Amino acid sequence: MVNGLKERFDKIEFIPYLVLGLALLILLLFIAYPLSKVLLNSFLNAGDVFSIQNLTLTNFSQFFSSSLYKSALMNTLLVGFLCVFFSCLLGIPMAYFLARTEMPFKTIFLTLGTLPLILPPFVGAYSWVLLFGRQGVVNFFLKEFFGFVLPDIYGAPGVVIAMTMSLYPFVFLLTYGALLSSDPYLEESATIMGASRWDLIRTVTLPLVTPSIAAGALIVFMRAVGNFGVPALLGGNFYVLPTLIHFQIVGFFNLHTAGAIAIVNISMVGLAILISQYVMAKRSYVTITGTTQGAQVSASKTLKWSGILFCSCVIFFSLLPHITVIVTSFTEGWSGTRYPTKFSFENYQRIFQIAKTPILNSLFLAITATLVATVIGTLLSYIAVRKQFHGKWILDLTVMLPFILPGIVVGVAILSGFSSGLIVLTGTWMIMVIGFFIRRMPYIFRSATASLSQIDLSVEEASAIAGASWGATFFRITLPLMAPGILAGAVICFSTLMGELSTTIILYSAGWKTITVAIIEYLFSATIGPAYALGTILIVLVLSAITLANRLLGRKMSQMFKMV
Amino acid sequence: MNQKRPITLSIQNLSKVFHGKTERVMAVDDISFHVSEGDLFTLLGPSGCGKTTTLRCLAGFEKPSNGNIRFLGRDFTTIPPFRRNIGMVFQSYALFPHMSIFDNVAYGLRMRKIPRREIEQRVNRIIQLVELEETQKRKPSELSGGQQQRIALARALVYEPKLLLLDEPLSNLDAKLRIYMREEIRRIQQKAKVTTIYVTHDQEEALAISDQIAVMSDGKIDQIGSPDEIYEKPQTIHVADFIGQANFLTCSLVKKNEESVILRFPSNETVLLDQNKKRTSACDHSKGLLFIRPERLEVTPVLGKANSLKGQVKRVLYLGSQVRYYIQIFQQSAPQEVLVDKNRRIKDVKEGDEVALIFNEEDTGLFPLE
Ligand SMILES: Nc1ncnc2c1ncn2[C@@H]1O[C@H](COP(=O)(O)OP(=O)(O)OP(=O)(O)O)[C@@H](O)[C@H]1O
Ligand SMILES: [Mg+2]
Repeated sequence: MVNGLKERFDKIEFIPYLVLGLALLILLLFIAYPLSKVLLNSFLNAGDVFSIQNLTLTNFSQFFSSSLYKSALMNTLLVGFLCVFFSCLLGIPMAYFLARTEMPFKTIFLTLGTLPLILPPFVGAYSWVLLFGRQGVVNFFLKEFFGFVLPDIYGAPGVVIAMTMSLYPFVFLLTYGALLSSDPYLEESATIMGASRWDLIRTVTLPLVTPSIAAGALIVFMRAVGNFGVPALLGGNFYVLPTLIHFQIVGFFNLHTAGAIAIVNISMVGLAILISQYVMAKRSYVTITGTTQGAQVSASKTLKWSGILFCSCVIFFSLLPHITVIVTSFTEGWSGTRYPTKFSFENYQRIFQIAKTPILNSLFLAITATLVATVIGTLLSYIAVRKQFHGKWILDLTVMLPFILPGIVVGVAILSGFSSGLIVLTGTWMIMVIGFFIRRMPYIFRSATASLSQIDLSVEEASAIAGASWGATFFRITLPLMAPGILAGAVICFSTLMGELSTTIILYSAGWKTITVAIIEYLFSATIGPAYALGTILIVLVLSAITLANRLLGRKMSQMFKMV
Repeated sequence: MNQKRPITLSIQNLSKVFHGKTERVMAVDDISFHVSEGDLFTLLGPSGCGKTTTLRCLAGFEKPSNGNIRFLGRDFTTIPPFRRNIGMVFQSYALFPHMSIFDNVAYGLRMRKIPRREIEQRVNRIIQLVELEETQKRKPSELSGGQQQRIALARALVYEPKLLLLDEPLSNLDAKLRIYMREEIRRIQQKAKVTTIYVTHDQEEALAISDQIAVMSDGKIDQIGSPDEIYEKPQTIHVADFIGQANFLTCSLVKKNEESVILRFPSNETVLLDQNKKRTSACDHSKGLLFIRPERLEVTPVLGKANSLKGQVKRVLYLGSQVRYYIQIFQQSAPQEVLVDKNRRIKDVKEGDEVALIFNEEDTGLFPLE
């Protein structure tokens, strides 16, 4: 009879511990070490070595002495809060209309409302200039027919508009999800007690979804204060912390001042997290019910038509920049007229001569980083869910930390960690892959964790008791069952890495320009045609990846972003 | 009836403590038992009494805090689950959702690197045994609850484990199917001649299926015995109460000597019990509870017999297969209700009637209080 009872090998299984060790090593080397170096740098003068006497606050003192720093700090906060405000203004009503009225084409609205999350914001940002800038189409006509022009788009207005239009879906999707899952009976009982529709929204509906709105607002704020591309393109003299960091790195290669700015930038995010936690803790109600019945959907015609109008407008304006990108990429310059007249493939011919490398670079870097992040993110999530050990929260925290750090800060951290000292990687593709991996691994970790916690532990135990070692169980049972979640995470990871700019802009070197760097360089030199042709290629690549994954998984796009 | 068989599994002083955030939970508290080869041994007890934890210690998913487990003479505690050669059926069945029924059942054989041809034969044979030949190509989600349950059993038995563990395998099935499936399990277990540990909180199921039963409460074993012993001769109030229906009549012990015990009830009625049969540690004048099963009581309209108690019929409940009488005794002093089960209505006894309750002393038990 079979009994593989070789007592010799019956020691504890070592593979899980090996994986755990590897994971800790990666977290220490690529997250903890670079971040602590940033922290250390920010308290040292350039050129000084670490010692207690050398610690200084000079790098921070500029926030009190320099007006540039002071205004950049205020501007960043301003952008953050305005983006949150406007995102709520657009996202909450849109969620309400979709969840609570009899609007037609809900799926289409939902998908189009999710799109801005996948499309890199800076690619479309410049379109606002083309459309609403001094020389833009809109002003051209306004002047022609009405004799006045819009205020300058450069500076705060442009930055806030462009960011809001690409970030509002976070508020929209989270609020929508909460509205769909909240207990219908609560609203019904309020109605029975005599609440009008507006009373109902004010007293029951909105308070119940406040935690979700707060969660969405937090993400918007974190993205807004950490974004580099949009203020770089539309800011002009309007500096924010990420552009200031870039200025320090590219202008002076001063990791110390950049580190100090990064620390301030991180504290902003930290503060926002604290505030939102406070809001959520004060207003967290359990609204899960056993009923599958949805909430009352209003049959009001007025509400329905306001919904269609509102949602169409929001979606139109949020996608307009990208539509402009695609349309413009097929035109031959706008000179002479204020709008495109002649269509051709000239821009594409040009970029295939001069910009093939960035496309290939981007593909190589994004795919490599996605593969690494997938393997490690999956193993880490397995350990986090299935293994019991002390200090587990450290693992969770370290894995999720890059998720809340602004992209440019991650760039600064990796650069600080690997431009001098033990490991020097500056100028290589590896430093970029590390940066990418660190930033996006949380996506895989989260989505793998979500699908792993759906798997009944006893399924794995059944495999073990049937004679499967840890490895056999993992590869034959656990991994196949986790696969959909991992795939979804990997696709999001890949797509967002293709459009990644904030980390790239700090870490790239001449030989490793990415498609996004090429785009922004073209845009800085106002070479719109090739920039938009590359932008279109990027949009097409990203959309195809997502669509393919949706097909494979049989999910809707809005569902894929549930976990982000 | 199985005394002749050798012991294969022996658990000695097994304990398991869980360290929660604030308190420690003594899930299993120093239990010992021995299982003979080929027996179906049941762990029976209310929810949270530590049955699953005991089973998981046997499987190796929990590391015992104390004690040892020996199976076929070997120390089990240091062997990881996948080398223990155990079959296990989980409460949720835990079939692999992404594999066909065939692959599910073949899994353990593949892990043992059995040649393909043999795998096919053995899987076919076991699927025949559980009578589900036609489902081989389906996925688990395309099977009914009862079918899934049988496949889980087949999967656990196909590699001929020396020990089979079953954790409430029937709790997800409806009442009729449970009765059918418990007989199936018994039939298959007998045919496979596999030593089996069966966990359930359903006492009827335990009585029907087991060779031996261990009744548990609060992490401890109260009594181990055959179904008959457990039902007829419970050794603690908890066991008597947990298994089936039980009447406990308050009484005090007035006199005890070598041959007999005299019990006095609150109504001042007395009965005489034969001391040989009713060993009790209680001493004179101590309080006690007289235990007797409802179906062992006789009811008669004729009053005044020896060793009988006077009562009044309060309610008659017709349940189809039996008729239940609620009879109030000790009416003047400390009224107490007694259940009597009969398989048909008793002649001349209606609600409100004065009756006499008669019992056989072999059917009773005496539990001292304090
Ligand atoms: N992993 C754990 N951590 C802490 N306490 C636990 C753990 N598993 C079980 N317990 C506790 O141990 C006790 C026994 O649990 P166990 O699951 O063995 O009960 P059971 O007899 O199988 O109950 P049921 O019939 O409800 O399945 C319970 O009080 C339970 O709360
Ligand atoms: Mg249990």
